[in-house]
Amino acid sequence: MWTPRGSLSGLFRGIGAVADSAPGFGVGAGTDATVVVPCEHAGVKAAQARALTLGATVAWAIPVGLAGYLAVRGIDGQGWSQFAGFLPELLTPGVCVVAGWLVVRRVPTSPTGPALAWTGGCVSLALALDVFTLTGLYDAAPGERSIAAAAPGLWTLDLLGLLVLLLVFPDGLRHGRVWRMVVPVYAVATLLLVVALWGTRKAGERLEGGPTSGPRAVLLGIGLALVAACLVAAVVSLVLRYRSGDEVLRLRVRWLMLAGAGIVALLAAGWVLAIGFDTSMDLAYGPALIGIVILVPAAVAVAIIRYDLFDVDRLLSQSAAWTITVVTSAVVFGLVVLGVSEVFSRSSGLDLTAAAFVTALVLLPLHRHVSTAVARLVDRDRFVALAEVERFAADVRAGRRAPEEIEAVLRDAHADPGLRLFLAEGAGWVDLSGFTYPDPDGVTLTFAGDAIARIWSTKDSARAHRRLADLSRAAAVPVEVCRLRLGLLAGRARLIEATVAERRRLERDLHDGAQQRLIATGMRLRRLQGGLDAGRSAEVDVAVAELEGTVAELRALAHGVRPSRLDDGLVPALQAMRAATPIPMDLDVGPLPDLDEVQLLSAYLVVTEAVTNSLKHARATHVGVRVADRNGRLCVEVSDNGIGDAPVVTALTALRDRVESVGGTVTISSPSGGGTTVEAML
Amino acid sequence: MRLVVGEDSMLFREGLVRLLADAGHEVVAAVGDAAAMEERVANLRPDLVIADIRMPPELESDGARAAARIRDTSPEVGILLLSQHIELRDCMDMVGTPGFGYLLKDRVLHLAEFDDALRRVADGGSAIDPEIIRSLVTARQSSALEVLSPREIEVLALVAEGHSNASIARRLFLSERTVMAHMRSVFTKLGLVEDGATHRRVLAVVTFLGAQPDTPPARAPMDPPGCARSSGRMGVPGP
Repeated sequence: MWTPRGSLSGLFRGIGAVADSAPGFGVGAGTDATVVVPCEHAGVKAAQARALTLGATVAWAIPVGLAGYLAVRGIDGQGWSQFAGFLPELLTPGVCVVAGWLVVRRVPTSPTGPALAWTGGCVSLALALDVFTLTGLYDAAPGERSIAAAAPGLWTLDLLGLLVLLLVFPDGLRHGRVWRMVVPVYAVATLLLVVALWGTRKAGERLEGGPTSGPRAVLLGIGLALVAACLVAAVVSLVLRYRSGDEVLRLRVRWLMLAGAGIVALLAAGWVLAIGFDTSMDLAYGPALIGIVILVPAAVAVAIIRYDLFDVDRLLSQSAAWTITVVTSAVVFGLVVLGVSEVFSRSSGLDLTAAAFVTALVLLPLHRHVSTAVARLVDRDRFVALAEVERFAADVRAGRRAPEEIEAVLRDAHADPGLRLFLAEGAGWVDLSGFTYPDPDGVTLTFAGDAIARIWSTKDSARAHRRLADLSRAAAVPVEVCRLRLGLLAGRARLIEATVAERRRLERDLHDGAQQRLIATGMRLRRLQGGLDAGRSAEVDVAVAELEGTVAELRALAHGVRPSRLDDGLVPALQAMRAATPIPMDLDVGPLPDLDEVQLLSAYLVVTEAVTNSLKHARATHVGVRVADRNGRLCVEVSDNGIGDAPVVTALTALRDRVESVGGTVTISSPSGGGTTVEAML
Repeated sequence: MRLVVGEDSMLFREGLVRLLADAGHEVVAAVGDAAAMEERVANLRPDLVIADIRMPPELESDGARAAARIRDTSPEVGILLLSQHIELRDCMDMVGTPGFGYLLKDRVLHLAEFDDALRRVADGGSAIDPEIIRSLVTARQSSALEVLSPREIEVLALVAEGHSNASIARRLFLSERTVMAHMRSVFTKLGLVEDGATHRRVLAVVTFLGAQPDTPPARAPMDPPGCARSSGRMGVPGP
């Protein structure tokens, strides 16, 4: 009779040994080559797990085989045919056994597989025992008297498998004496119950000849209390495990919670059906009972084998939310029906109509609030992360934060400091600093049908991908704004570069084209001059002087387009400018880094325009130019001693445009009578 | 005089070759790129090479860089660089050294002066375009040169261009003796060592002008600084 108990204590010994030798267990078997899914268990030995599962299979198969044999052969005798009639009930725990085998095959060192199989095996055994006593077949069995006498107390066998499952799911027995005591205590409780109920008999749903007083009643009370304590301990163990566990463990436990929520939902649905349509209670509870036998093993198997199969957080949160909504709606419906029929004291159909109306009115807002509350409770990680990203998106819309912060926000929300955001730019991808990447991996984010970004994360699980996809959808608008802003800046920079290159080309064309030809023409004239008389020779001199003037003009023009002294650097170019400036000009140039063509030309043109302005409008007699490197930016400052009072908004518009077009800033200070200072940061 | 011409514009090159021939020079080679120019100079050993600063292959200052290499391999060959505009990046080291000239291209239209410059350079003298000297002088004006009178600055500029005392006297309508007096004064005020040889004084002046204002060249302590200052104050105010 205690064979299963023996096998189970073997299982517990195995777990206990591992737990003792490895405190803080939960990291062991991950490197085992046979482990398909990354999964941490304080494992049992694979052979032991297989043996235990085989035991459970046998415990399930014997009554099924017997019933099947009886059903096929159609043996006479009332008891036997009655036994055959229980075949469907005996078959159902097979779901647990199959699920147990699945787990054992995929994760051979997990204690969950054997525990799950025994959940089915124990139910099967208990059921067989029940059927045995119910049909009176025990009369034919050897030792029939003692079996019959003990049977009423052995109903605890039904829950033993589930108890063990709760204690070891998902990664073995918890560390500590208390948890190792649970099953022995359960065994003692069973013994007490057997003694207390010795010789009683089940008749239908009731026990006959049970103890009502005396020491056996006390034993019965103690036994029941111990059974209840064991069940509570198992649930507490699971709760403690959930609270102290890592993310994967929580995910696994959530699968079990999902099954629990599903069962409650089925119960609620059955209840509503039973009340609303007045069906039998059997029909109401049927789906829930089948749910228990099928949902729990399925959820446990998925939790161990493929814990990230679906978005269990969301499934759990949504099913819980719908369950609460349905139950609350049903309560509202019932209350309204009751209330209306009380007031009108007759059944007029008004009660049902009013109830339907009120329920429909309540349903959606109720569900919205319940979903939020449940998501906050059950799916806390996603809820908080999504809320963070959504708050950021709202801040961006309101202009309170810059969209470029999105990468930092996503890193924070996804709890991954290595997360990278790549924005679609032309055929490739760029990060926020503008570096290009040909084809990065990651979650692709689309906006209005176009792929606008890829988000790469160091977290590589399917669950992390789903989470990231959710977060990125919430971040779509800030990301797109980022991308457009970056594209705009890049486009403007390209335009500036093209303009600068064009100026350079134009300057070269003037020098090497027109100027060159004019001088060549001058040389021809000079050669002709040799054979001419004095008067005509003077004419040629005038013509050559004209050409020289034109060449000088062209040189000045080319200089205005782009001073060729810039080829020698900013300082020689500014010194040449000082030579050409009619008022004294102080030049103070600090040590500068290497400047690119755009910076060079921009800085030079800022000085030119500011100095020209001082000469034209400020009646200045002295001008100072300072160029310095300030924290990696080029600072150009031009100040004069003129009349000041420059119209700050309209003054130097061209200069302002020029500087701002290359991403710089201009500050102009021009107090009346106090001179004008123009400062440009490039 | 035997000349090699390096100039990529065919129009300008042909014009220049004819002008030089008319002036009685022998143009032994006229080429359109820097590498060919270097090769001809090495083979033909001319008295002088006239090179455009901007030439193929890169159309940057290839001519100037080729000239610097010629200076290393064949120091006896005079070098005259021609340019459309002032661009000293790759030739500042050579400016003021003997047998080097740098002129804007339109100077060729003044035949006599151009010929004079050619001969000066071929003879180991110097010919620096007045534009360049003006930019050097104005670049230093507000600091070191404020001790000089305007006349002294004029003389200094002509010295820097590579003119001899006689040439300076002719241009400024002065006697050679006055020019020499001005020069002595200039050298004393700037703390430069006077030297009889024309080419060395050109280099001294150009080096002085070309140095960065903040790092004046080491001065020979010929004159107490106070003296130079006082004469600066007493002199004509700077422009």
